[in-house]
Amino acid sequence: MLDERIKKINVDFNQDISTVNDIKQLEELRLKYLSRNGLVSQLFDELKNASKEEKPVLGKVLNTLRNDITEKFNTLKIHLDSLEKESVEKYDLSLPSFERTIGSKHLLIQTLDEIKSIFKGLGFSVIEGPELESDFNNFGALNFPPDHPARDMQDTFFINSEFLLRTHTSPVQIRIMEKTKPPVRAIMPGRVYRNEAISSRSYCVFHQVEGLYVDNDVTFAELKGTLVAFARQFYGENLKYRFRPSFFPFTEPSAEMDITCFLCHGKGCKVCKHSGWLEILGCGMVDPNVFDNVNYDHEQYTGYAFGMGIERTALLKYGIDDIRVFFDNDFRFLKQF
Amino acid sequence: MKVSLNWLKDYVDIGNISIPEIIHKLTMSGLEVEDSIDEAELYKDFIVGYVKDKKKHPNADKLSICTVNTGTEDLQVICGAPNVEAGQKIVFAPIGTIIPNGKFKINKAKIRGVESFGMICSEAELELSNDHSGIMILKQEVNIGKSIVKELGLDDAILEIAITPNRSDALSHIGVARDLASIFDKGFHLPEISIQESTHKVKELASVEIIDKINCPRYSAKVVQNVTIKESPEWLKKRLTKIGLRPINNIVDVTNFVMYELGQPLHAFDLDKLEGQKIVVRSTEAESVFTTLDSKERKLPKGTLMICDGEKPVAIAGVMGGENSEINNSTKNILIESAHFNPSSIRRTSKALGLSTEASYRFERWVDPSATLLAAERAAQLIANLGDGEVAHGALDCYPEKIKEKEVLLRFDRVSKILGYQIPKEKIIQILKKLGLKIVFESEKEYRFLVPTYRPDLEREIDLIEEIARIYGYDNIPTISKISISLGEKIDESAFEDTIRDHSCSLGFYEMVNNPLQKEQFASLTGNKIQILNPQSLDMAFLRTSLIPGALGVIAQNLNVGEKDLRLFEIGNVFNQNFGKEEIKSFDDFTEVQKHIFILTGRINEKMWNTAEKPVDFYDLKGFVNSLIIKISLDNVLNDSYYHNEDSIFDFYFTKNYDKEEVGIGGKVKKEVLKQFDIQQDVYCFELDLTKLKKIKANPKKFVEPLKYPKSIRDFAFIFDNYVTYEEVIKFIKKSSSELLKSVKLFDLFESESLGKNKKSMAFSLEYFSEERTLTEEEIEKDFNNLIEAVTKNFSAILRGA
Repeated sequence: MLDERIKKINVDFNQDISTVNDIKQLEELRLKYLSRNGLVSQLFDELKNASKEEKPVLGKVLNTLRNDITEKFNTLKIHLDSLEKESVEKYDLSLPSFERTIGSKHLLIQTLDEIKSIFKGLGFSVIEGPELESDFNNFGALNFPPDHPARDMQDTFFINSEFLLRTHTSPVQIRIMEKTKPPVRAIMPGRVYRNEAISSRSYCVFHQVEGLYVDNDVTFAELKGTLVAFARQFYGENLKYRFRPSFFPFTEPSAEMDITCFLCHGKGCKVCKHSGWLEILGCGMVDPNVFDNVNYDHEQYTGYAFGMGIERTALLKYGIDDIRVFFDNDFRFLKQF
Repeated sequence: MKVSLNWLKDYVDIGNISIPEIIHKLTMSGLEVEDSIDEAELYKDFIVGYVKDKKKHPNADKLSICTVNTGTEDLQVICGAPNVEAGQKIVFAPIGTIIPNGKFKINKAKIRGVESFGMICSEAELELSNDHSGIMILKQEVNIGKSIVKELGLDDAILEIAITPNRSDALSHIGVARDLASIFDKGFHLPEISIQESTHKVKELASVEIIDKINCPRYSAKVVQNVTIKESPEWLKKRLTKIGLRPINNIVDVTNFVMYELGQPLHAFDLDKLEGQKIVVRSTEAESVFTTLDSKERKLPKGTLMICDGEKPVAIAGVMGGENSEINNSTKNILIESAHFNPSSIRRTSKALGLSTEASYRFERWVDPSATLLAAERAAQLIANLGDGEVAHGALDCYPEKIKEKEVLLRFDRVSKILGYQIPKEKIIQILKKLGLKIVFESEKEYRFLVPTYRPDLEREIDLIEEIARIYGYDNIPTISKISISLGEKIDESAFEDTIRDHSCSLGFYEMVNNPLQKEQFASLTGNKIQILNPQSLDMAFLRTSLIPGALGVIAQNLNVGEKDLRLFEIGNVFNQNFGKEEIKSFDDFTEVQKHIFILTGRINEKMWNTAEKPVDFYDLKGFVNSLIIKISLDNVLNDSYYHNEDSIFDFYFTKNYDKEEVGIGGKVKKEVLKQFDIQQDVYCFELDLTKLKKIKANPKKFVEPLKYPKSIRDFAFIFDNYVTYEEVIKFIKKSSSELLKSVKLFDLFESESLGKNKKSMAFSLEYFSEERTLTEEEIEKDFNNLIEAVTKNFSAILRGA
């Protein structure tokens, strides 16, 4: 009886498997024959009822049936799985994608961001001030006497005799000190204007970052240390530097900071005018006259100030040879950075 | 300013210090050497050659074939100079030599078919002068085959020094020498003056009177009689040409020599042309006209300081002499002026006339009042020594009120307080003494110094500290590696704009930085413009009143180069004069505010194999603006208004408002406006006032627990009359629903004839849920059906598909 059923299931299975075309049908086949409640399992259940004599014989036949069915099933499964994979490969993955645009900040702003983040790490606040300034804030309070040749250092766009477009970010120093008592520790980024002919090397508008630190015991040695720390972070750990005496009416002693030209490594090239050095910023100790102008006690407080041009910094860093590209806003340029 | 090292060595003992060391130390003490020529290095390959033979070049009229003897061999050299002849000794550049003028290397060459093995040089090629009319012909005494460095005495170094405006004293060889003496701690000496004077007394020959004593504190003069105006001797011409000056005649050359030696500008008058042999210094009382020695007529403002004779002006003091008193070849007697003028007065005159000279440059920076007489005597001595005149006995020296040397106190502990480093006291004293300062008082803690009058920049203790630091060397002051930071609050005023920037980039916009200076036409488009008093050009004569014109300019420029799909933003300040203010007299008369602009044109999506092309439209603009506003949490704080207004730069636009105050405006730019920029395609832009936005308090962010219950969606579509706006419908739906309706979305909108004339269909998707429970079908149905009825009734709308 069982023997008959085994034969029939074998025939039925062979019939059923021949009609299977896909994984889904194969799964149905598995459920029908090989699952826990499938036909083969039922036969094994029935085996328990068989006589002692029949049991080993039938058991052997049944095992053969199960092995046979399982093997056929597995063979077909492998075959069907491989067919399924082939259908996935039909996608041409090399087709172009639709890229979403992430815009970018202007290269000057990116450069400024880098400078800001370094100084913020050194405990500086970021303060802004207006571009249309009073002559007093831009010159007078910063110790530029009227009719003094120092004013020739900065060609000025005037609105009238009392107002002008600021020629540097230094007037923000005055604004901060007029509002705040020491300690003052801030950088002041912003746009400045100079009435200079436009060329590949100069533009009538550019950007600066000013720095100021005033407290009880601020020294020239600390100014040097702070700016060297900045330059190392911004230009690279291994740079060489030097501080050269210079003149600004609002600082004394005044200095210009040079670093070794990173294009020629100090050997001399076109960019560093064959000197091996690049001037990166101006700095100095705040002149006592400036403290007097903002009612700080110049005996008690000392301070340092510095200022650097962002365009120049970016030109050097990215190897750009014409300052005008910053203001042309050519989309092909903007997209590069 | 150019200085000659050999010249400097006349005053300071630096003979054994190398040129690179001198250059380095000068730069590092504040006299920045911007360029230098080391002659011995520059001319090391040039030798004296001898032209043995000269033949005509067979293929060129102007060229000669020369045989040049170099001491060791005869070489064939092609020469193009008209003055080359056999028998001459010349400067020869063998193959491999680098020519100073042009920095090119001499190679073996074939010129018109004839080989040439070197070059015969002109003075211009050697940069010895500008003379390129022919080759340089040497004296017969020079030795053939020897280096020209030795034979021609080209052993100088020329340094180009940048002098900062505070260092008027360094605008001369003496000044630079004095710094060198202090830097290297070497001996320093002024030129010795001893003049053979005639028996004629100067006071009987001329007189000086100062009327404007404020603007001319001192006027010294010497008189030289029976001068012969002629060419200067070689040594004098050489000194001047080395530092870039053109020799003129003995008198002019001597005055120039003294100016570059001592820093005192001199002027030589033809004494016989001075009416009454008299000098009167006074300022003009009215506007006048004067002809300077360059034959130009100058308009002088009232108050111009003039040098006059007994009756008329003869020179603009400190700026330029007059044609009427100029020396010429027939001049017999001269008066040498050596004065100290008020720097401000000279600067005002120079600015007013737009005339800057070597003299005015120095006078407006301060010329040593104590050295005027010395300079006049030095000039007289040189002229006498040249044998070109007789110096009258004595000097004219009008110095009504002596300018005193200042006393400055220096506290040694203050030096270390400023520098953060203790420089030894002995070193400090040594530096200042070498710079010419004298000690007038000394104690353990402080010294008082007398500052010479050639250093007007040294008035305060801090000025002395700077001198000490720069001579001691900034490099010798340590660079500290630890700082202390106060823990007070830190502010970042740029944080808000930086956030806006980040979001703008995320939305796919690229940042522009535009020039705020623009032409009147553009500045007038959008506000009440402010004019620049002294613009560079009419294109940059006004400040921008908004970011729009600048941005449109950028669009136009990019369209021109074929970039047609643009999404740009900018953050920058704009300037407007307040209405009713005639002139800017205070910060209340104008506004300077920070603005942000989005500007878009072209396609928002380009056509791809799997996406359709889509041109930018108003709703893209609105979407970008809203995304930004949402991101800065102002979406529930600001409201919109929509306009189709004729007198605007937009065809249609919307505004963002805070209460009733407008904080942003933008839309589709009018064609007429675009035409001014030559733009042919649609442009959309929106400008936000960041100064205002920054002050608005955003709703604080609060945590909202994610929804635990399911949402139910219902859709409906209605046919409306065309004039019904989306905003009206949406407001009505929200008003008419229960609080279970959480959001409404327009998902379809169209007009079609099948709907009827002036009709449109709007389809909405409604989202219902509750934070507290799962909603039942019944309550949603009830709310939804009520809503259908209300919309139908209120707008006379027809429910579609019903």
